[in-house]
Amino acid sequence: MDWQGQKLAEKLMQIFLVAFAVVAFVVGYALGSFQAMLLIYAGGVLLTALVTVPNWPAFNRHQLSWLDQSEVDRHPRPQAAASQSSKKKTTKQK
Amino acid sequence: MHSSVLRFNALVTFAVAILALICALASFSDYFNNPSPTADVKVLSINWFHKQPNGNEEVRITLNISADLRSLFTWNTKQVFGFVAAEYETPQNALNQVSLWDIIIPSKEDAKFLVQITNKYRFIDQGSNLRSKEFNLTLHWHVMPKVGKMWADKIVMTGYRLPDRYR
Repeated sequence: MDWQGQKLAEKLMQIFLVAFAVVAFVVGYALGSFQAMLLIYAGGVLLTALVTVPNWPAFNRHQLSWLDQSEVDRHPRPQAAASQSSKKKTTKQK
Repeated sequence: MHSSVLRFNALVTFAVAILALICALASFSDYFNNPSPTADVKVLSINWFHKQPNGNEEVRITLNISADLRSLFTWNTKQVFGFVAAEYETPQNALNQVSLWDIIIPSKEDAKFLVQITNKYRFIDQGSNLRSKEFNLTLHWHVMPKVGKMWADKIVMTGYRLPDRYR
C-alpha cells in the first residue's frame, strides 16, 4: 500500500468500527437483545477487516515514483567527506 | 500500516477496545431501570415438627410462593437467582437464616410464577429454639448481569409462627 492508501485505510477502519459500534448499540438497546448488539458488531468488524486489511488496488492509486536505475547510475553516491564539518545534502533529480 | 499483518493487528486492537466501551455502556444502561418486584409467601401447613436425638429441631413446611420478578430483567440480565429464607432470632444469634427453597430464573418470561412446594432444603435449628418461634420469610434475589456487577435485594414478609409443641 502506498502512503495515501495507508492513511485512507486507517481512516476507513476507524470510521467503520465506530459507526458499527453505534449502530450495534442502538439496535441492541431498541430490540432489548444483547446478542443482537454483539452479532451486529461482529459482522461490522469482519466487514471492516475485509475492506481495510488486504492490499486492494484502490489503496495503490498514489504510487511513489522511485528513481530509474539508469538515472541512479549516472549520479554516483558522494564519497564520505574527509572533513567532519560537511553536512549530508539530498538532491532531488527529476 | 506497513503490511496487512500490521493493519490487522491495529484493527483487532481498536475493535476490542470499542467492544469494551459498548459493553460498559450496556452495563450503564441498567441504571435507567427501576424495578418493582412483588412477592407473597403463604404457609400452607407445617407438615411435621420434630426434635432430633442430637438435640436439634427440624421443621417440614409447605409453602405457596408467588412472585413477579419480571421488572428486574433488562437486556443486560443473564439470570436471576431467587431464594426464600426463614429468618428468626435466638438467644445465641441475633439473626438465623435458613434457606428453604431457591430458583434460577433464566429469562423474563419465567420470572412470574406461583409454586406450591415443601421446603427444598432442610429447616434445622441447632438447639431447642423453634417452639412458638416467630419468623420472617424473606424472598431474596440476586440479579446477574451479562456485563457488570451482580446486585441483590429482598422482600421481607413477617408474621409467621411455629407451633408451640412438636408434631
